Amino acid sequence: MGGLHIPDGFLDPLTAGVTYLISAAYAVYAFRKLRAEKARLELVTPLAAGIFAAQMLNWPLPGGTSLHFVGGALSGILLGPWLGFFPLFLVLLVQCLLFHDGGITAFGANLLNMAVIDVLAGYAAYRLAPKRCKAFGAFLGGWLGITLAGLACGVEIGVSSRLPYGLAVTVPVMAGWHAALGVIEGVITAAVVSYISRRAPHLIEEGGGREVA
Amino acid sequence: MRKAYVAVALMLAVSPLFLVLSDTVGYREPLDLAAEALGLKDISEEVNWTPFFDYTVPGLPPALGYAVTGAVGVALVTLLGRALQRMAK
Repeated sequence: MGGLHIPDGFLDPLTAGVTYLISAAYAVYAFRKLRAEKARLELVTPLAAGIFAAQMLNWPLPGGTSLHFVGGALSGILLGPWLGFFPLFLVLLVQCLLFHDGGITAFGANLLNMAVIDVLAGYAAYRLAPKRCKAFGAFLGGWLGITLAGLACGVEIGVSSRLPYGLAVTVPVMAGWHAALGVIEGVITAAVVSYISRRAPHLIEEGGGREVA
Repeated sequence: MRKAYVAVALMLAVSPLFLVLSDTVGYREPLDLAAEALGLKDISEEVNWTPFFDYTVPGLPPALGYAVTGAVGVALVTLLGRALQRMAK
């Protein structure tokens, strides 16, 4: 599959180590916040299952590429920055260990891109959007999350290569492509958020719509 | 909550179709293009540890294996999610 999943062999030990440390620190802090989130804790598992299944659907695109929904921004919008980490953590863990989708050496980087950056971008864009424009905020969150995750992915593999021009190659390719592909993530994110806000508004009000201390 | 799992089951049921479709397109992803330009090599197959590599089941046709691994993945995600819930309490 792939998408934003960095495989084994792409990252140098330093980049792998640094991204593992950042993601581990985020995970520990987010886990501490988990205890205070009992009401929404029950949403983590169904959302993780939904994101796992959605990531199985690789949509082929003209021009010979494909994409699948990532879901980090959606998780951030529904569950906030800390609890929102865990659905993606569960998905990436199972994908890596059971199917070798995403490398074990790149697990820290993949968490950082999809369970931290994508989640935070979705959460922030949705929170900052004015009340009347929440659907647009969700679209923007989905788009921004994928674009920034793509950019981060480009930086990580760019600095891993020994070539002096590594970043100059990877950053435009990854950020550019994902800024385009992210439009679809934005549309799906906005559609799911709009559906949930009509059918079960309490989920969203208690989630990304609320102040998280 | 039940609706969420109905949606999951539907997505898994149609997933083999997506496997066939994207294989037909013969897709290459931006990440592969960027890595190739830098001479970075995917060593997943050399260091692989799992028999279910890349959503396959040994002995099953790829499309069926894809649906089976999807269901196994969802089950494992659900088990781990429930374990996490218990740990947090």
